[in-house]
Amino acid sequence: MAEALFQIAEPGQSRSKHACRTRAVGIDLGTTNSLVAIVDAGKPVALADEHGETMVPSVVHYRGDGGVVVGADARDRLALDFPRDTIASVKRFMGRGPRDAEATRKLTPYQFFQGAGDQSVVRFAAGGRAVTPMEVSADILRVLRLRAEEALAGPLQGAVITVPAYFDDGQRQATRDAGRLAGLEVLRLLNEPTAAALAYGLDKQAEGTFAVFDLGGGTFDVSILKLEDGVFEVKSTGGDSALGGDDFDRTIAEALLARAGGADAGDARVIRHVLDAARALKEKLTIESAAAVDVELVPGKTTTLRLTRAEMEALVTPVLERCAGPLRRALADARVERGHLSGVILVGGATRMPLVRRFVEEWFGQKPLADIDPDQVVALGAAVQADMLAGGAGAGDVLLLDVVPLSLGLETMGGIAEKLIHRNTTVPCGAKQTFTTFADNQTGFDLHVVQGERELVAECRSLARFTLKGIPPMPAGMARLEVTFMVDADGILRVSAREETTGKEAAIEVKPSYGLTDDEVERMILDSIAHGDEDVKARLLAEQRVEADGIVAAARAAMRDAPELLEDGERDAIEEALTAVEAARAGSDHHAIRTAIETLDHASKAFATRRMNKALEQGFRGRNVDAVDAKLTERPGER
Amino acid sequence: MICWSCQKQAGAAPLCAACGALQPPDDAADLFAVLGQPARFAVDMPAAEAAYKDLSRQVHPDRFATADPRARRASLARTVQLNLAWHTLRDPLRRAEYLLLRAGIDVGEKKPGDADGQRATNKVAAPPAFLIEILELNDELAAAKRAGDTVKVAFMAEEMRARARESMNEIGAALDAGAPGKLEEAARSLVALRYYQRFIDQASGGQGGDGAP
Repeated sequence: MAEALFQIAEPGQSRSKHACRTRAVGIDLGTTNSLVAIVDAGKPVALADEHGETMVPSVVHYRGDGGVVVGADARDRLALDFPRDTIASVKRFMGRGPRDAEATRKLTPYQFFQGAGDQSVVRFAAGGRAVTPMEVSADILRVLRLRAEEALAGPLQGAVITVPAYFDDGQRQATRDAGRLAGLEVLRLLNEPTAAALAYGLDKQAEGTFAVFDLGGGTFDVSILKLEDGVFEVKSTGGDSALGGDDFDRTIAEALLARAGGADAGDARVIRHVLDAARALKEKLTIESAAAVDVELVPGKTTTLRLTRAEMEALVTPVLERCAGPLRRALADARVERGHLSGVILVGGATRMPLVRRFVEEWFGQKPLADIDPDQVVALGAAVQADMLAGGAGAGDVLLLDVVPLSLGLETMGGIAEKLIHRNTTVPCGAKQTFTTFADNQTGFDLHVVQGERELVAECRSLARFTLKGIPPMPAGMARLEVTFMVDADGILRVSAREETTGKEAAIEVKPSYGLTDDEVERMILDSIAHGDEDVKARLLAEQRVEADGIVAAARAAMRDAPELLEDGERDAIEEALTAVEAARAGSDHHAIRTAIETLDHASKAFATRRMNKALEQGFRGRNVDAVDAKLTERPGER
Repeated sequence: MICWSCQKQAGAAPLCAACGALQPPDDAADLFAVLGQPARFAVDMPAAEAAYKDLSRQVHPDRFATADPRARRASLARTVQLNLAWHTLRDPLRRAEYLLLRAGIDVGEKKPGDADGQRATNKVAAPPAFLIEILELNDELAAAKRAGDTVKVAFMAEEMRARARESMNEIGAALDAGAPGKLEEAARSLVALRYYQRFIDQASGGQGGDGAP
């Protein structure tokens, strides 16, 4: 209502602004923090909450009563009291199976749900239910969607969500599904280093070959890009999707725990406290050379943990040095010499650490660029891309050419991975391979799709198993099955197959090795829409009931306190309206309660005004309203 | 081709001549023609790259993110073909292989379980004498590596690189010569070149990129 009134009052202002603005947003769904940005008047801007804060901590708390709390509240308050029910760094679990999760479990407060037989997807046991990483991410995305809808005063056209360049197919699918589950039209998944390069390239009019060094909370990415005439061509990409600031925290925390002694390293609360202490120390040591924090490792007893920058750097250097391998390979793949780069762009919160900057500067032999906020640059680049995809300014001038981060192949006899699409091939891309049957009248065929650089299937990541069915019966070796791999612009693989001699499309049954099947995702989305409506209704009803209770109590109290102010017939009218509100309150229609409240408001308005005047008269003993106003506007110091 | 959108003659260009809707590609199209280049080994690289980028701007999925699903599918298929064309033309080895394939000579590597690999007719094999030479060189390289003789390893790799470069030049000349028998000669040299390439990869640590020299 208020929104509409404002728009009528200032048509010129809001119109011109909206005319050059698409309703598409860019979202950086980060390990530690998430952001949403839009392009406004030709410039990308990150959207802030009412406190001016652009970052939403990627922390979600699941309450026992079904409620969900996202962001700073979940991180600062609930994570400490309910470590198991509060999920942080969920990005590390995206598209992962329970066995992968075990590997990252060394120092984590979470409890995993032991489902019956289902080994394909991690489920956290939080708030008395089992939630998948995709659902946790969707809860974060929902908060960002609402923030953007509020800023743009309406529904969104779509969103570009960023992913680490080194995310594999399963991790990408899980991210896209999370977007859909959050009610977003996902226009594109964009690689984070590419997003950063886009923000830099357009802002600084940069040309040449650049390296993007992206060290976030949980992932490390490096991309080598050539920028020329509006073409952003990714030459190569590399990284480690399980290396980031979190690992620094964990390394520091392990050392702190060992040093503190006596603390229970198996206690979720203790782990949360020590991890938080490690993060706090790391942040303080970005500026200072020594720091201390107090923590309560044993209830009722405060322990002071101290660390110097030199000690911290000695601890995390071995972790940081894991970046060197991917860096070398990315440069080799791009056929670029270390010294021949036009610039090195820093992205990600962890690149604020002096140690990381020194490492990058020494490795590349040049001072890295960090003049766009490393925490925001990815979201800003994503907003630019979203705006272009939705037809905003710059569409058609800029061309992004990204690549497949890891080779895609099929398992062949002997457990060898046969690569069909090599890493660093420009997307979208495709490949075809023809297979034949081994037995007479064979009607089915199994295919195992893997991703990775290693020769052996066992050392690659299993993506999915396909069963081709409905091959017409023929002698062995006669059928010609053409299997087509297609990687789309999001870096996601689709597989199709047809029998060439008969032209029959083979039916494909997909069983993802990790993650959820399409059917499972579809069901979750449908459930969320159905429940989403119910949730909203329940909330509105609860709100109206609270308001009804308040106004009924106030009206009764007023009539009791000042019966002399009631005029003839007024009491009856108010009583009637009160009864109507109580009757509506007992029902479950929030609209009916609202209407009854408004009727009561109307019936009691004159009485309420009289009561207010009386109160003013008593309070200021006979001074008229103008005098009271004058008094109220005087400043305290001037008397 | 009849346009999927306006049902009129679409013409040969990516966009329908009548209504401007993006048309699906011809799957059988020649990859040189896709980039508007004559089919020969000596490619005008700057012209091919400019054509690639120009066409990409027109047909890339980023231009059709909010378009009709049929236009989106056409955009995806067009761009896949365009990327394949540029991937093939920009790399001398892949370019040579493709030129031979167009002429009916398959020098593609046999893939396990691949039906084409099992029933290919016009396969080119390396002569036994050549294979023996390579085998001996491989043994020599392995011995030098075992002995930690990095100078010799580097020397052998450099020698092989020179041989590979020379071979690539010969293949290019043979492919563009247009004389009878020259294509077969190029095919044999290409098979040999693969062995050189593998040798160089072995010498320089065993990894290496995706096959480009």
